[in-house]
Amino acid sequence: MARYVIVLDTRRCIGCHSCTVACKINKDLPVDMIYNPVTIVGPSGVFPNLHMTHIPLLCMQCDNPPCVDCCPTGASQQRDDGIVWVDEDKCVGCKACVMSCPYGARVPNPAKGIVQKCDFCMDRVELGEEPFCVKTCHQRARIFGDLENPTSEVYKLVNSEHVLRLLPELGTEPHAFYIMD
Amino acid sequence: MKHKEDVWGWMLAVDFFFVGMGGGMLVVTGLAGLFLRPGVTSLLGNFAAPLFISIGAGFLILELGRPLQAWRVFLNPKAILTIGAWNMLVAIGCGLLYASFGIPGIPWADWAVLQQILAFVCVIVGLVVATYPGFLLGWHKARPFWTGPGIIGLFLISSLVTGISAHILAGAILSPISSKLLNSMPGLLAGLLSLQLVLWVGYILVKRTGTTDREAIAVADWINGELALAFWGGLICLGTLLPLILLLLTSETAHTIGALLVILGGALMRWMVVRSGEHRTWLPGEQYYLSKLPEGDEAFLNVWDY
Repeated sequence: MARYVIVLDTRRCIGCHSCTVACKINKDLPVDMIYNPVTIVGPSGVFPNLHMTHIPLLCMQCDNPPCVDCCPTGASQQRDDGIVWVDEDKCVGCKACVMSCPYGARVPNPAKGIVQKCDFCMDRVELGEEPFCVKTCHQRARIFGDLENPTSEVYKLVNSEHVLRLLPELGTEPHAFYIMD
Repeated sequence: MKHKEDVWGWMLAVDFFFVGMGGGMLVVTGLAGLFLRPGVTSLLGNFAAPLFISIGAGFLILELGRPLQAWRVFLNPKAILTIGAWNMLVAIGCGLLYASFGIPGIPWADWAVLQQILAFVCVIVGLVVATYPGFLLGWHKARPFWTGPGIIGLFLISSLVTGISAHILAGAILSPISSKLLNSMPGLLAGLLSLQLVLWVGYILVKRTGTTDREAIAVADWINGELALAFWGGLICLGTLLPLILLLLTSETAHTIGALLVILGGALMRWMVVRSGEHRTWLPGEQYYLSKLPEGDEAFLNVWDY
């Protein structure tokens, strides 16, 4: 069984927000809903040796997703390939998942009365395509693939580069890997 | 949009307050029924317990994005919210049935065994109702103010003190058959209030000094930040110390005012705790990013009508 992950190469990200916009268009999100913001750390250092890092954020597709465990309706689910998604028909908008997600990846949609999130564009993935943010990233800072496949690019990156995961101490086993400088 | 990470609002705090108070009342009612005798708690208090839990549940439903689909929260037995919802349902049912024994002429008035069983169940489900908000919040690893087991004890004791206070008020309005327990409630309440004071000071101190940086930041709001007045002035002075003094007096009026202040302090505490949960452990650069988002009423946001 595949285990889909995303590798985010912050050395390549230039903070153009193309991924943010692409996601909003593909998912037809209201103006105030963002699944994958890009944050800035820095600038740091002393002139002329200044440095700034762009951190793309999104749902970490955790192996131990607290949002799934806490969902009282069973709307938040995890597929065998690791993708965490929301069955919108079952969601009642209790926001238990919003509060439990350490990564702020859950976004309430007041118009629909439910909570939504990034699902790695699973409709596209099922057709063998990449998530739209990955397809859009012209810097190739976002790399998507199957971690169980030793020939995949993500497998090679995760096993060869120094990758970090956000808030690993919480035990959620996030499956978004960051390559930092 | 700056506050777009929508979190639980004041209605959940109201839910926690009413449910906690109702749970605490149910524990007192059940224990009195088991170890003393039925009739030592006010009939009004006995009925108020399940009523308060129902009011709390009502606010919980209103907090939902789709209130008409509220029945779905009963469907995932592995989720703590589902367990809490079922427990509330049992508590309301048992509480009402137990209270009904106090109605003169009720057909099942002589079913003493059922009454004892219900009293026992009321104690158990009442304890769960009183404690479960603490469990729910303590589970949130990414909410520094809540995380950890300490919050469980604080919610339990707050539920008990507000529950006893509500029984004192109910007894003042409609006297129980025997006032033996009612007379000893102010002393019991004073003892528990002292314990609550120690627990709160300990909780704040440990969060401030003994744990992670992010917990220290979260608790700074309570010590000298935007919640300091509510904490020191509201919860500690008006909700704990002043009632302690009033409860140690011999005047029944002082006891009633003291009980009322304790209840108000309990409501304030729930609001402050829920409010503190707004603060999540920030990811790199996230705070700056959120600060740059529009407020939500900017003209450019409304130029295009979707």
